[in-house]
Amino acid sequence: MNVETFKYDNRIVRAFAIATVVWGIVGMLVGLLAAVQLFFPDANLNLQFITFGRIRPLHTNAVIFAFVGNGMFMGIYYSLQRLCKARMFSDFISWFHFWGWQSIIVSAALTLPLGFTTSKEYAELEWPIKIAIAVVWVAFTVNLIGTILKRREKHMYVAIWFYLATALTVAVLHVTNSMTMPAGWFKSYSMYAGVQDALVQWWYGHNAVAFFLTTPYLGLMYYFLPKAANRPVFSYRLSIIHFWGLIFLYIWAGPHHLLYTALPDWAQSLGMVFSLMLIAPSWGGMLNGLLTLRGVWDKVRQDPVLKFMVVAVTAYGMATLEGPVMAIKTVNSLSHYTDWTIAHAHSGALGWNGFLTFSMLYFLYPRLYKTQLWSTKLANYHFWIGLLGIMFYIIPIYVAGITEGLMWKQFNKDGFLQYPNFLETIVQIVPMLRLRAIGGTLYLVGVFMMAYNLYRTAKAGEFEPDTEVQAAPLEKTVSSGAHGKLSWHRMLEGKPMLFTVLAVVAILIGGIVEIIPMYLVKENVPTIASVHPYTPLEVLGRDVYIREGCLGCHSQMIRPFRSETERYGEYSKAGEFVYDHPFLWGSERKGPDLAREGGRYPDAWHYNHMDDPRSTSPGSIMPRYPWLLTQKMEMDSLPWRLSALRRIGVPYPAGYENGPAQKDLQAQAEKIVANLKLGSVNAEPDKDIVALIAYLQRLGTDIKNAPVTTAAK
Amino acid sequence: MEQKVICGIEGVGIYGVISILICFTFFTGTFLWVVSLKKNYLKHMEDLPLDGSEKNSTDKNQPTTL
Repeated sequence: MNVETFKYDNRIVRAFAIATVVWGIVGMLVGLLAAVQLFFPDANLNLQFITFGRIRPLHTNAVIFAFVGNGMFMGIYYSLQRLCKARMFSDFISWFHFWGWQSIIVSAALTLPLGFTTSKEYAELEWPIKIAIAVVWVAFTVNLIGTILKRREKHMYVAIWFYLATALTVAVLHVTNSMTMPAGWFKSYSMYAGVQDALVQWWYGHNAVAFFLTTPYLGLMYYFLPKAANRPVFSYRLSIIHFWGLIFLYIWAGPHHLLYTALPDWAQSLGMVFSLMLIAPSWGGMLNGLLTLRGVWDKVRQDPVLKFMVVAVTAYGMATLEGPVMAIKTVNSLSHYTDWTIAHAHSGALGWNGFLTFSMLYFLYPRLYKTQLWSTKLANYHFWIGLLGIMFYIIPIYVAGITEGLMWKQFNKDGFLQYPNFLETIVQIVPMLRLRAIGGTLYLVGVFMMAYNLYRTAKAGEFEPDTEVQAAPLEKTVSSGAHGKLSWHRMLEGKPMLFTVLAVVAILIGGIVEIIPMYLVKENVPTIASVHPYTPLEVLGRDVYIREGCLGCHSQMIRPFRSETERYGEYSKAGEFVYDHPFLWGSERKGPDLAREGGRYPDAWHYNHMDDPRSTSPGSIMPRYPWLLTQKMEMDSLPWRLSALRRIGVPYPAGYENGPAQKDLQAQAEKIVANLKLGSVNAEPDKDIVALIAYLQRLGTDIKNAPVTTAAK
Repeated sequence: MEQKVICGIEGVGIYGVISILICFTFFTGTFLWVVSLKKNYLKHMEDLPLDGSEKNSTDKNQPTTL
């Protein structure tokens, strides 16, 4: 028999492994800093660059795309070569992918603290970086498909299906959600507005969780778990159902992030039903993973790799049960905007992604360095401190989340809100926020222990840059059907390109069902006559609001509950957001909703509040923003911004940005300065704070100041 | 508002039926598909990650095949 000798590329696996550990530490450190600021706002050291609103997206991007992203590539580059019995398609592309991805991470680490952000969650990076992401992702996809095409193994193992689905779906999601109109090098406005933007964003956001944090890691589970247990997967049949069920259903469930918002009810129901259906394939997959360990549970007691895997798979099961439960509208009415969501996200991130990544690292390092793990004992300590960290992290904020939700909704016997001051609900949960930071610290200490253990393992061994192996080349029989009649399934996975097309069709069905109504919604959003575009000063103020990440703590979406309308005013309508590029509904409330903030307080109150929130609201956990009082607003870029907004549908008159806009801005700014004087505040009209006050005083006033007239087109 | 949106879609009544049909067909097809798979094929697939053409020394608690 003809046998070919070839080499697996271990260098690229090691590079991604090192990047995983380094970025993991960075991302978690930033998360810890953000967590501490929630009960000790001065931990920002009075620097705007590391204030909560700016580092929250840095933390989420770092752990998702840098830590989990590199972890995913590490596992894929290792397993794909072995499952395909082939070296990666191109070494050049492998390294282009590696350095391209690291450059994107570094640009994120620089631009987000500088305040360059689109504000759309997990898609905050500005347009030049978005283009770079697309280029690097295409390179990864080409390398993936190229390797599959030159494989020496006739069949594609189920892990590869998950990798393919990941590569293709993330590309579709990224491109669709990144449609923005540039207004300068590091400023852009989403092409979509209001309700459409919210739907596209959460279609993306939900599926970023699905196809970046879940499907690739499931593929890795199907490879590394049998490998570490040295047993085949419990049921290969179940893994096939898991795959097709998951990729078909997942894509539909995005609207569950927008329950009780201004999104049409039918879209919300669609999201809820499909979320519930997701339990079936998810639990099928979890059980398939755990049952793979039948008969080898004694190994789990000794082997840290398996220990981490068992907790990871269990956390996957728990998070994928909890997610659908939270998507039930009645449950969501309590959980949404509270810390419950953060607890849910972290049970998945710390348990599923974190622990599976650690297990892969402990599995790979001894093999890459041809030695034994330096200290199994230290790895076991890491396991227990990590597990304790997860518990200390999630349990307090589950309690915090439910406490917040209940307090927001509580009425007294006279029918008034029991806790009308939002601050009371925050003060109540501060002890839980402290405990959460302790949990995060424990988890991070575990990661440092792992980094040291892996470093010592590498020092003790000798790195094998290439692993030489032999295998027979693939006979050209699969597509010709020379072995007689092939089953449908074997035909399909014998033809990667056809398989790829079908997988894309499966995800597009759900996508199209949501995207087409998006356009229908556009035609049907009831227009509200009194809703007008933002004034030039308000546009600049809104951009300050985006830059400082205010939406990390403040929603702008009043849900139609009495507890919310009593607290904040009239519930939010879809027609109010037609000029909101991007939408700023937010997903978390660490401060009150601001949808009807306009006119609630005098201008001087806002000025003093931004200078020192505790001067107006004792006990507040909001950071100080003194720099807004001294920094000049970005007048130079105003023409760019207004013309970009006009190009995407905001009806500013032609030429408005060349003169008239500046005059209007000056006039409005002078008015605010005069108002501030009435409150004994001396301010200059060209400062950021003036623009921000203009924006905050505008919020919700279109509805407040005029009777609502709705007319469907 | 949602009623207006739904009524604005032409032939909206068929949407629910189509959705159920798509789901039912999809999952029935997948189920029949996996049931029809041959045992020796499944065995081959299950063993793919365990295929050990490389040998390395590893941690004493871990399997020796790569």
